[in-house]
Amino acid sequence: MFDLALSEAGAQIILATSSDDKYPPENMIDGKDDTFWTTCGLYPQEFIIKFTSLVSINTIQISCYNVKKLKMEVSSDDNQAFKTLAEKELQPSDSAPQSEEISGRNVKAMNLRVVIESGYDHFCAVYKICVHGNAERS
Amino acid sequence: MPAVIRAKCIVVGDAGVGKSAICQLFTSDGSHFPKNYTLTMGAEFMVKPVVIPDTQDTVEMYMYDSAGKEIFTDMVMKFWDHPSMMIVVYDVTSETSFSSCEKWIERVRSQKPDVPFPGALVANKIDLEQRRIVGPKAGKELAMKTGLDYYECSAKEMQNVDTPFYFLASEYYKLYQEKVELFKAFVA
Repeated sequence: MFDLALSEAGAQIILATSSDDKYPPENMIDGKDDTFWTTCGLYPQEFIIKFTSLVSINTIQISCYNVKKLKMEVSSDDNQAFKTLAEKELQPSDSAPQSEEISGRNVKAMNLRVVIESGYDHFCAVYKICVHGNAERS
Repeated sequence: MPAVIRAKCIVVGDAGVGKSAICQLFTSDGSHFPKNYTLTMGAEFMVKPVVIPDTQDTVEMYMYDSAGKEIFTDMVMKFWDHPSMMIVVYDVTSETSFSSCEKWIERVRSQKPDVPFPGALVANKIDLEQRRIVGPKAGKELAMKTGLDYYECSAKEMQNVDTPFYFLASEYYKLYQEKVELFKAFVA
């Protein structure tokens, strides 16, 4: 099992609802802990990660800040509608990023959509998202 | 590409104080002053980008010009989730509109009690000098008490209408910068 959401491994962010050039969404999948994506105001905010092929997701780890309600959705190919995988309300954190692990229940996915439905402040940051799982044989 | 920061600006105050006139003047760069009064029902929605001086960045203001008539209040408050900033308007010739301000401020703040957001108190219709009842002192005191910034304007004379908007845009931009510094500090 390895991290499927890495730009080095070919994963791409194909949509993000905020983009400050200094803190682009690609920062979430660059494998580094010290770079991040910022949301630029208003809710909801979302981004979509596209994997190189169909994958089976075991767990998703996200490191973020100021996020309150979080929703994850997957679609198994580009023509399919997204289905909800998990919905969570995160606890606020004062002095360190929030860290959350979500079970993927081995769902098959080509695209992963992460929706930040609300936050503890006007602006949120997502430092890193790791998707552990395996490539599916098609 | 420069950053675009988005802000939801809630504009409130009693009916007839000039909220719509102020919003329409600001979004049209001073070219549109509504000469006839139309009662706003629900909320009018407008967008206006504001470039932050000395940067390439923009604050896009999504304005919710809300109905002032009480019968629309329940309905209009539904549009107010996640406010980023507020503008509270009163008419300097109307004591009632001035005393309603605190009620409006409370209503908007109740949407997001844990998160502070910038706001402006705007005294409109200062061109009506003869009929003015609410002076600058009372206005400033209320602003101080409620944590807002005080502005005087005349939508009719197109005087000082943009200033509160530019102020809020730049305050919000500052907030964004502060948060980014905080995000950085965690992983430095």
